[in-house]
Amino acid sequence: MILDVNSVTKVFTGRGKNKMVANDNISLRIAEGEVFGLLGQNGAGKTTLVNQILGLITPDCGDIQLLGKSVLGSPARARSICSVQPQSQVPLGFLTPKQAVTLIGKMRAGKRFDPRRVEMLFEALDMGEWANKEGEKLSGGAKRLTAFCMAVIAPGKLVILDEPTNDVDPVRRRYLWQVIRNLTNDGTSVILVTHNVLEAEKAVDRVAIINKGKILMQGTPSEVKSSVSNQMRMELSLASESDFEIPSWALSSQKNGSRLIIAIDPQEVTSTIEWAKEHVDNGLIMDYSLSPATIEDAYIELTSKKVVGL
Amino acid sequence: MNLLSHYKYVFQMQFLRNAGFLVFMILIQILISIGIVIGFTYLIPVPDKDTILFLATGAPTIILIFTGLVILPQQIGTAKSDGYMEFMRTWPVNRGVILGADTTIWLIITIPGIIASSVVAHLMFSPGYDISWTVIPALLMIALTSIGVGYGFSYLLSPTASLALSQVIVFGALMFSPVNFPMERLPEWLQALHEILPIYSMAEIMRASLAASTFEATAGNYINLMIWCVLGYGGAIYILNKK
Repeated sequence: MILDVNSVTKVFTGRGKNKMVANDNISLRIAEGEVFGLLGQNGAGKTTLVNQILGLITPDCGDIQLLGKSVLGSPARARSICSVQPQSQVPLGFLTPKQAVTLIGKMRAGKRFDPRRVEMLFEALDMGEWANKEGEKLSGGAKRLTAFCMAVIAPGKLVILDEPTNDVDPVRRRYLWQVIRNLTNDGTSVILVTHNVLEAEKAVDRVAIINKGKILMQGTPSEVKSSVSNQMRMELSLASESDFEIPSWALSSQKNGSRLIIAIDPQEVTSTIEWAKEHVDNGLIMDYSLSPATIEDAYIELTSKKVVGL
Repeated sequence: MNLLSHYKYVFQMQFLRNAGFLVFMILIQILISIGIVIGFTYLIPVPDKDTILFLATGAPTIILIFTGLVILPQQIGTAKSDGYMEFMRTWPVNRGVILGADTTIWLIITIPGIIASSVVAHLMFSPGYDISWTVIPALLMIALTSIGVGYGFSYLLSPTASLALSQVIVFGALMFSPVNFPMERLPEWLQALHEILPIYSMAEIMRASLAASTFEATAGNYINLMIWCVLGYGGAIYILNKK
């Protein structure tokens, strides 16, 4: 076990004795080579948890163990085991991405630092054009990628990435997920902090959904999804906005102009497709798509009391 | 990995990150220090040798005060608000190493200004420099105190509060501190205050090393600086390690 967070609670006391429970009895464990997603809305307590893992703040109660030893006793050790990409941009000043990544690599790995890894990362993320440009002049995405490289150039046993894909273009996002996957092949574990749920679904082995300081649910993405809903959803574009008879086997439906979404039982898939084809042939439906409930549906249902989507 | 190689990499990181800014600061420092020596002679129509010597031996102290108590707190304020401070706290190095590397950089940028102002003053006025070997330890001690105190209050206070304090210090050090003129000219309550604050002791120690045959510093001055130096760095390390 790389990381073992055991019943951690952290309360911040603001002005006028206002108490804010940032983490409420949180427990989770991360195994070697695992990508663990920490999903939650703004202010859910994700970054507070990360800062406690790094030993930057101390939990009010509970314990955090990294490789079998408590972080509370030796925060300096925690900082050498974990490398972090912070949520905010790293202000590079006059440093070029190449300088910044190389220096952090040397700081972390010392003599074991391999400069070829910098080249390799820059190539994998297609960052060549920025490598020797001053940090101040880089775009937000290029800065974010540089901060990502700084976190993974000499990864410890645990890499913590706080919203790594913010500002990054869709093509390089894919490269980035690939680099993260390659990290885990070498036995490094990854904590991915994000509210970009759909993207995370493809990248993580396990997720925890955290809301108002509490973990609502944790498990593999499919476990999390099935705990909430075992339905399929069909989305239809209707030929006209006029009345359309909703089939009786629809579990629920929502019509918005010419767009109709219906929820169905997975066993009804075959007959639903046939039904849809028929209506396409007679011109009532323009096109249709069928998809399983996404982790986003589960996430929204868990974190907000409202039923959204279906 | 040992402290020394950590120090090397942290130093390179901080130095390269600020490279452009540092060059600019060095130039400003040179201008200010020469400005103090020449500019003040405009304020005083017929300056005598003693006055000039006071100005010339005060300029290096002003530079060190500016660097440690004005420019540095502004930089720390920026690093705090743009998240760089928080990022440094995640580095796998001893926090003292970061403080040490930064101190070295601040020390380096003061040197050109101090040398330039002294050379210019000597060539223009020959005010009677008598440089003692103690100039090196004196300079180090004054610089460390100034930088240490600057770190202490800018880590302890919010960016806005430390910015305000540093503005008061600029004005106070230049106009109301016995750096460029003798202590006796100040009202008694200010004299008493300056017995406690580090600025007077800095000025005395600097003068005693630059014009050893004219001025001398007391043991009290050295003790005063040491106390402030320890308080400053102690406070800074405390805040850096605070959770």
